[in-house]
Amino acid sequence: MTAKVEILDDPSPLKNKVSYGDGGIDADVIARAEQVVAAMQGDYLNWVVDDLDKLTQYYSQAAQLPAADRLAVMRELFGVAHDIKGQGGSFGYDLMTLIASQLCRFIEGCTDFNDLAMDVVAVHVEALRLVIADRLEGEGGVPGKKLLVGLDAVLKKAGLPGDE
Amino acid sequence: MNGLNGAALKVMVVEDNQHFRLLIRTVLQTLGITQVEEARDGADALARLHHFAADFVIVDWKMEPMDGIAFAHHIRWSPDSPNPTLPIIMVTGYSEPALLAEARDAGVNEFLTKPISAKGLVGRITSLIAAPRPFVRSETYFGPDRRRRQLPFSGPEQRSQSGYQGPVLVRS
Repeated sequence: MTAKVEILDDPSPLKNKVSYGDGGIDADVIARAEQVVAAMQGDYLNWVVDDLDKLTQYYSQAAQLPAADRLAVMRELFGVAHDIKGQGGSFGYDLMTLIASQLCRFIEGCTDFNDLAMDVVAVHVEALRLVIADRLEGEGGVPGKKLLVGLDAVLKKAGLPGDE
Repeated sequence: MNGLNGAALKVMVVEDNQHFRLLIRTVLQTLGITQVEEARDGADALARLHHFAADFVIVDWKMEPMDGIAFAHHIRWSPDSPNPTLPIIMVTGYSEPALLAEARDAGVNEFLTKPISAKGLVGRITSLIAAPRPFVRSETYFGPDRRRRQLPFSGPEQRSQSGYQGPVLVRS
């Protein structure tokens, strides 16, 4: 059997539309882009509070339901946590990404949102709030490490799935 | 200085989170790219691409009702596609190898994991511009060549030993 494979060389040549040096983009351009993103940190700190409030709202909403009926609300909570995970590191809050990632993995692996599981979620939401309240930039230094160790201990104590 | 003036480029950002859209738009502006159209999901983007001839798109994976993979598949294969060879950069919070392979097989050009950095995004855009890969069209795949490097191989070719006679390469 013979298969036909067609090769199209650079069907969308973008080079023709830009002025561009031979040596690639230099460090100045990247540094400028990084500076502009870093300047958005203030905006991030404003909008992440809205996301944290959403997490709390979803948590409260789920906690009022019987354990068997919590899944749909927890999926909504997961979506917000996933956004927080994706944004933290972009704006210098890597610890937000680490904690939100752990929360996402926990929710993904959880098959029963019983009260113990809800406690684990609550602790992670509070940890995220603490990072922003105390402005724990980067990985948060010593306080950040203590926070992560504490969250690991909560997961182990609960015997529930967390971040690998 | 080897800067990049992207003033002539038109870019569509497909992302359901307004903050991510702002972040990406801001990085684009540092490259001189100001012709930016935003869409909230894949279906919204497809509709907008019929009147906004983007030079490339930056698309999130997880969106509703149409996610980034469905969008890429539509762009590459649909008879209604506004541009089957449109370069696609996919941005996502998921980095599992199986998901990366799914994006690659859907014909995505470049992949970027959140949290994104300015350096990472600029690097992917630079790759599209300075090191574009040829497109491959077969019965089951249409998109950029999935082999980023051509490596020499001295062993026996499995396909020749099994009687496989193809593929026939046609360079357009």
